[in-house]
Amino acid sequence: MRIFRIPVRVSAVIRKELREIGRRPGAIVSLVVGPILVMALFGAGFTGQRQPIETMVVVPQGIDIPRDADMYQRIAGKSVHVRGVTDDAGAARAMLERDEVYMVVIVPTDALQKIERGEQPTLTVETNELDPTMHGAILVVAEQIVRELNAEIIRSAATQGYARLTAAGAQAPSIPPDVVAHPFKGVVVDRAPVKPAMLTFFAPAVLALVLQHLGMTLTALSMVRERLSGAIDIFRVSPIGAIELLVGKYLAYAVLSVFVTLAVVLATTLGLGIPFRGAVPPFALAVGLLTFASLGLGLLISLVSDSERQAVQLSMLVLLFTVFFSGFVLSVNEFSMPVRAIAYALPATYGIALFQDEMLRGAAREPWMLSALAGIGGSLFLLCALRLRGVLRSV
Amino acid sequence: MDLPPIAMEDVTRRFGKLVAVRGVSLEIEPGTILGLVGPSGSGKTTIVRMLTGTLRPSAGRMQVLGEAPGRFRAHTRERIGYMPQQFVLYPDLTARENVSFVAALFGMYFRRRSQRVREVLEALGLGAARDRLARDLSGGERRRLALAAALVHEPDVLFIDEPTAGIDPLLRSDIWDQLRGLAGSGRTLLVTTQHLDEAERCDAVAVLSDGELLALAEPDVLREHVYGGEILDVRTTRKLDARALGDIPGIRRVRQRGERQFIVVAEDAAAATPRIVEAVQQRAGVVASIERYAPSFDEVFAALVEDHRSKPRAA
Repeated sequence: MRIFRIPVRVSAVIRKELREIGRRPGAIVSLVVGPILVMALFGAGFTGQRQPIETMVVVPQGIDIPRDADMYQRIAGKSVHVRGVTDDAGAARAMLERDEVYMVVIVPTDALQKIERGEQPTLTVETNELDPTMHGAILVVAEQIVRELNAEIIRSAATQGYARLTAAGAQAPSIPPDVVAHPFKGVVVDRAPVKPAMLTFFAPAVLALVLQHLGMTLTALSMVRERLSGAIDIFRVSPIGAIELLVGKYLAYAVLSVFVTLAVVLATTLGLGIPFRGAVPPFALAVGLLTFASLGLGLLISLVSDSERQAVQLSMLVLLFTVFFSGFVLSVNEFSMPVRAIAYALPATYGIALFQDEMLRGAAREPWMLSALAGIGGSLFLLCALRLRGVLRSV
Repeated sequence: MDLPPIAMEDVTRRFGKLVAVRGVSLEIEPGTILGLVGPSGSGKTTIVRMLTGTLRPSAGRMQVLGEAPGRFRAHTRERIGYMPQQFVLYPDLTARENVSFVAALFGMYFRRRSQRVREVLEALGLGAARDRLARDLSGGERRRLALAAALVHEPDVLFIDEPTAGIDPLLRSDIWDQLRGLAGSGRTLLVTTQHLDEAERCDAVAVLSDGELLALAEPDVLREHVYGGEILDVRTTRKLDARALGDIPGIRRVRQRGERQFIVVAEDAAAATPRIVEAVQQRAGVVASIERYAPSFDEVFAALVEDHRSKPRAA
């Protein structure tokens, strides 16, 4: 029966692929060990906390406003470091120019007079920042300073008012000045099951990234090499079909991916102490689907590339896309819709969310992502099969 | 009547404006070797690739084992072997693994495959090298490995593209012995070569130049066909102008090869010999030797190309 020859051909492709990879283990080692090392370094070095913003406060001469740096430090909070208080705005601006401080807060000369006239004086916050993230942080801090300064003035006014009332024999209101100045205080209740450190939070994302990149890179080079070396002619002449060849390639790299995943999961959980709170079957399903989709991505790259160089460039481009758009660094929700569509076309986008949920929360919050991953994998398999059929056909 | 295993009829292949193969027709009988000879770029590999189904002809018809190459069924593919001109096997696999891989692609089951891989590697002198990586093999070993991969599934029809390119003469002879053995066992082979002398080892020779088939015949017939008769090598004791012999009845052509040597093409060599001797004597000469001459295929090829290029080409 000829149908029994199909597994013979498919298993031949699997053996061939695994043997070739086994003969050149360096590539696998660098692909797997590299990201783990980067992750370990990242975890060891990244605190996740922004350094306080160096700030000078300018209080002009002749104004009856405190010049105590500690008071301004208390008002500004932990996100700011008040380096000092000066009456020389020019000197403070020179420090800003020399990048010695990031923020200069200038109290207007007529602040008290304006308040007494019932007008709002303007507190000027100057900065000299190109980095939009830093600029955004400064805006938030500036607003917070203004808010806190206003509250401080209200608290001070309430205290003085209460004192005068008491001195006049009247009964002061029962609301304390602090409550008058800050009627509400906020509290954040974190319902997340764990409070991961930076390394812990990024570890599942790195695992997803490694799996996608590994699957993609290995397959991206495998087919293009066969096309360039002429080995594809053997497939063209032989009875092997596009689907058989594709299934052989998928299975070979799937076997490899299982071992790599096991190694990386063991290294992260046992070696780096990353928790694994989920169950193995759903996690394995997510790994399997991510691998399926990533292999398809790599094979498609290899089938449309004209050279190894182009295949490597396309793989790197996909990696770059993944780092930016998959939610690895920036949240997917921060992108506008047309760009977000790119994010949702990347297998790693789903892998990162699923792995983080499975490993850190204990269960996937968005199980539809499994279906999406399966859909992407299936579509890529179909595209590869069509393209490979064209490649194997007479030209 | 049985169809020939390989047949082409008026086949043309164009690559853009370039006509790589122009109106080639040929048939190959079962159990024979057809040598496709011609210089680099003459269209040999294009013909092989069309016959193996990797290239589509632009015009004309072709059949291999009764099917059009572009529509081979799996069963037909299993009966075809192909050795490409370049080494396309996997450098990171051993000789045994490479041949076994190709055998499995052609659907051979494990037990038979193991046996055949061993047999074919031994037969091609690669038994000792079977566990060496292909990248560590010499050029000659690689050619033999490629041949082993083409033979391993015991195909009925073999397409072998330049099996002896870059191979030393001793090994070339070994490879041709193998090919003759395969033809002897009933297989049909189409072998391309740039070495014109190898045409001698074929049952029939197709000479190509600039994509056109210049001649197709058995090697001996081709020689006579090209020269237009039986060829004699005549040597004399004194200088002689060969043109003086051109008027002898039954002599078709005379060509000077040296002051005392000339080639005579005669309708019938036996009948012409006494007339040549007499004609030489009449010109105060003595024939030192006169014998049948087999021109090399280089000469045959040169004559064919010269003749072909002297004719106006059809549009």
